[in-house]
Amino acid sequence: MSAAEDQADVENVLAGDASAFEGIVRRWQGPIVNLAYRFCRDRTRAEDMAQDAFLRAYRALASWRREAAFSTWLFALATNLFRNDLRRVPAGTVPLDELPELADSRDADAGLEDEDRDRVVRGAVYALPAKYREAILLFYFHDMDVPAAARSLGLPEGTFKARLFRGREILRRKLARRGVAPSLQEEIP
Amino acid sequence: MTREALDRILASEDQIVPSSGFAASVMDAVRREAATPPPIPFPWRRALPGFGLCVVALAALLVAGFMLRAPASVPAAPATASYSLAQMFAAARVAIEKADGAGWIALALLLTLASIFFSFRATGSRT
Repeated sequence: MSAAEDQADVENVLAGDASAFEGIVRRWQGPIVNLAYRFCRDRTRAEDMAQDAFLRAYRALASWRREAAFSTWLFALATNLFRNDLRRVPAGTVPLDELPELADSRDADAGLEDEDRDRVVRGAVYALPAKYREAILLFYFHDMDVPAAARSLGLPEGTFKARLFRGREILRRKLARRGVAPSLQEEIP
Repeated sequence: MTREALDRILASEDQIVPSSGFAASVMDAVRREAATPPPIPFPWRRALPGFGLCVVALAALLVAGFMLRAPASVPAAPATASYSLAQMFAAARVAIEKADGAGWIALALLLTLASIFFSFRATGSRT
């Protein structure tokens, strides 16, 4: 992704050439749709949310201050929109207590199918309270880059790390109850 | 499960590819947005005189309400038929207040007419 291309497209759009926005859409559609998908787990809804995010970005383009990267601004705008959207209409996720039991209580790492375990772990993330869930989702979406994830959520890094820590703690306890061996370290990245 | 395992699971979330028509659909919405004329700004300059009148009327109303908070009442007529000087003044004050009420009605009518006049002027001059 080229910051110079983003900047040039933004300048053109602000000068009145709406079609220049297409470059921005084509460069960022993948990340934005995937970000939306992480929030709602529904492909159709993710595309609707992403379209809304691009439209908002188009309207608010003049408010992008050049000291931050365009991507930072776009992710923050999209994240804020997705969070509000999910508050209004929650994603159809299954509460953790309603997820199927993992195979049995044998040694979890040895006895579980990887696929089942992954599904339960992801389900557990979606069952977290919103503020912890968002911290975890954004942390992994941004390839475990704390500053980038914190900026997307509009939080100071310290607050973000605290939420990540607390989210993992809850996850650890819940997964232990569901039969996933909880040897998650408590260190913060 | 180690933290690395958790990181691996959560970092390897499914990636989806936007549908082929996604960018075109966004651009359609953007073009519609671009073609929509900007909203008409509120005509503050035209509305200001009306707002000013409203503020003046509200202030006058508050002042009048404050002054009339303890209304004078006509003392009960004594058993005898003779009125004292104080009773006559009180009766006069009540009469004046009644006249004030008529004044307020007139002021309200005036304000209504003024607002109608200004609204006609504002809409009439645009067409």
